[in-house]
Amino acid sequence: MLRPTRREFLKTAAVLGGGLALGDALALPRAALAQDPMALSVARWDPAALATADLAAAAGRLTEAAIAGLGGMGRFVSKGDVVWVKPNIGWNRAPALAADTNPDVVGALVRLCYEAGAKTVKVGDNPCHPARHCYATSGIAAAAEAQGAQVVFLDDRRFRDLKLGGERLDSWPLYPEIVEADLVINVPIAKHHGLTDVSLGMKNLMGVAGGQRSAWHQQMADCLCDVTAFLRPRLVVLDAVRVLTAHGPTGGDPADVTLVGTVAAGTDLVAIDALGATLLGHQPAAIASLGAAAARGLGTLDFRSLPQVERTLS
Amino acid sequence: MTVRARARRLIWTRRAVQTGALLLFLVLVVANRPTSGEGPTGPVSLFFDLDPLALAATWLATRTLAGLALLGLVTLAVTAVLGRWFCGWFCPLGTLHNAVGSLRGGWRRLTPRSEGSSRWQRAKYYLLIALLLMAIGGVHWIGVFDPFSLLYRSLALTVLPACDVALSEVANAVYLGDPQLGPLHLRDLTEPIDRWWQARVAGSELRVFTGAGVILLVFAAALGANLVRNRFWCRYVCPLGALLGFAAVRPLLRLRSRTDACNSCGRCTLRCPAAAQPEKPDQWLATECFGCWNCVAACGNEGLDFRWTLPWRATSRGSVDLGKRRSLAALAAGAVAVALMRITPAAHGKTFHPLLIRPPGARAEREFLQRCIQCGLCLQTCPTGGLQPTWHEAGLEGVWTPMLVPAIGYCEFECHACGQVCPTQAIRPLALAEKKQVRIGLAVIDTSRCLPYAHGRECIVCEEHCPIPDKAITFERRESVQRDASVRTLKFPRVDPDRCTGCGICETKCPFQDVAAIRVTSAGEDRHPANQPLLGGRAGAGTD
Repeated sequence: MLRPTRREFLKTAAVLGGGLALGDALALPRAALAQDPMALSVARWDPAALATADLAAAAGRLTEAAIAGLGGMGRFVSKGDVVWVKPNIGWNRAPALAADTNPDVVGALVRLCYEAGAKTVKVGDNPCHPARHCYATSGIAAAAEAQGAQVVFLDDRRFRDLKLGGERLDSWPLYPEIVEADLVINVPIAKHHGLTDVSLGMKNLMGVAGGQRSAWHQQMADCLCDVTAFLRPRLVVLDAVRVLTAHGPTGGDPADVTLVGTVAAGTDLVAIDALGATLLGHQPAAIASLGAAAARGLGTLDFRSLPQVERTLS
Repeated sequence: MTVRARARRLIWTRRAVQTGALLLFLVLVVANRPTSGEGPTGPVSLFFDLDPLALAATWLATRTLAGLALLGLVTLAVTAVLGRWFCGWFCPLGTLHNAVGSLRGGWRRLTPRSEGSSRWQRAKYYLLIALLLMAIGGVHWIGVFDPFSLLYRSLALTVLPACDVALSEVANAVYLGDPQLGPLHLRDLTEPIDRWWQARVAGSELRVFTGAGVILLVFAAALGANLVRNRFWCRYVCPLGALLGFAAVRPLLRLRSRTDACNSCGRCTLRCPAAAQPEKPDQWLATECFGCWNCVAACGNEGLDFRWTLPWRATSRGSVDLGKRRSLAALAAGAVAVALMRITPAAHGKTFHPLLIRPPGARAEREFLQRCIQCGLCLQTCPTGGLQPTWHEAGLEGVWTPMLVPAIGYCEFECHACGQVCPTQAIRPLALAEKKQVRIGLAVIDTSRCLPYAHGRECIVCEEHCPIPDKAITFERRESVQRDASVRTLKFPRVDPDRCTGCGICETKCPFQDVAAIRVTSAGEDRHPANQPLLGGRAGAGTD
């Protein structure tokens, strides 16, 4: 068992007794990940053409371009894989209000996964508002189902305490079906957040957690680092097609939404979040969770130092 | 075709109609479970629209027909012609009573004496009189006894949640245990069923209701009484049946009997669910008869049949003989009930129950209670499960009326379903944009529990969830001296009373699960000019 999959880890962990072995076992994929080229791919819509663009089509094409810039979905998806696409579906808000991930970004990712040979693509989140309302209003359920994805509503009772072995969270209930997936694609939307200033990829991972997760607010940076270190998503796609600049994470006023027309993809969550923070007008190092993540070696804040592919579409 | 054969065929037709109506009732209950913010589509309040009792009592209570469905008049008109066929052929609660009553014959010896009519059947008329007088006095207690309210409330708040719980517990146990039958995983069977139920029947996360036990007990008692007397509820209690009885004094379709054919065998009496005296040729009780045709089919000599008959040619007298004294006593009882329910400080605006947070669009309390028929449609359609039945919070007068309990669930910003489904417009059908402006209460922060204030920790989960587009909860950065004398800058939440609508999501999501550190009370609710702590109401609340 040189490179066991996450599912094999969980099985091993179960055999060894209630997930206690997970913390050690996870050292393996970390090492494996370090060998990945930490590339960053940014697709932008020509700013001059943005105001008149068909945003739904543009979001899909930007997503394709961003993934193509990383070398294509085939780099991440093997034939027969089960993929979990994890957008932000936290709020019962329409796409134009930019509180949830753009549905067309999600739809495009589902399609790319199937084209790369995925067996099943699941889409789901643990929302703050009633799940069925969020999934429908955000447009994500319809967009994902149109591409053949299995839209999953998380069941409160199926969260399982997993050993994170983090600095703040020793264990926490996470959703096994997500953790077991062969690939988790973390698809946050870039937006403002009252407590943490920004809500990006690390914050989006809260949707894998159950339990009394609002308590994370008391030490958000450490908690986000712990769950990031545990999950280590191999592919992050940042939706900055529309960006919520104030009164996040819920928003609701179209005046707080700015059209940016950008989708970024990468393998380093911290770098992607640093890029997102910059887009939102912040110094990455000034964001507590990002500073802590960089200090713990979870990724780099200096996203410009990574091999970068940039494409401009129109 | 012989009279009996025709009667048997009609009985099977009746059973089909009854089953169909019961299924329709169930389908409409399920259709009213939460879907999206626009609220359920379809005639989810159909049965209540057809209910002349709800119409009459609400009209008496409010002295207006504004906002009421007038279909109940159709029911009355049909009853005037056909008699109480509504009870025998349509009422879904009556159908359930039939089903339970059919269990009875087996274990108890029935005699014409035990099954025959009784003076106690008049009780339902006295109850109706008392309830209508209460309605005139503004106490709308119809919903406690109305058969549709009783059935809807019982199904929506107790039976369906019990099914939800049972099914999901089984499915979850199978999922986690993963039992196998040979190569077959049992979960491959249960998971799709569970997903279907969640999507099509449950429609939301599990919602359960406080006080469901009492509602279930009343329902069980109403059904169980069939074991004492067939259709006990319909014979002795149902005020809707009583109202229809008044309408059925001179129906055109009447039971006719050939006296020469009767050998007094009593089979018609035994089979009569309504104790309408089919055995007494000239004393058949049109006001009690459900038109079920059981007696016609039961008579071996084909001595009974329903015939179209002009009222002046009727041989049996039709009237509801209640007696002046007893009727006056019923009126007096209604008046006393009004008085008893009104001698409370809350009924006179002296106190406002802080937890009595009514759904958005609910009318001022007095007017609200004059319309609410305790049916449970709003509770059933609330997507967060925050709308709960009252027990004592609105007084005895307002038992089983809706109130928001933010500790359980909040009022979803993008939803106005409760007002869309209310059959009597006790909750007004506001447009979504209008509903977002309505304040149902006001959030206040308990600084003795709130984490930054009391414990020097970061939090502002309330601010995060506040759905008002420019946030009714804001924060200010302040320094907080920690135990080790170090100083941390924390965000301290504040409620902007001009913007807060009292939706309660802050209370629902507060990390304190027992008693939240931010709580909504009814203070400042738009419905009551007297329940206003702030100068001049508010400006620019909840702008969209």
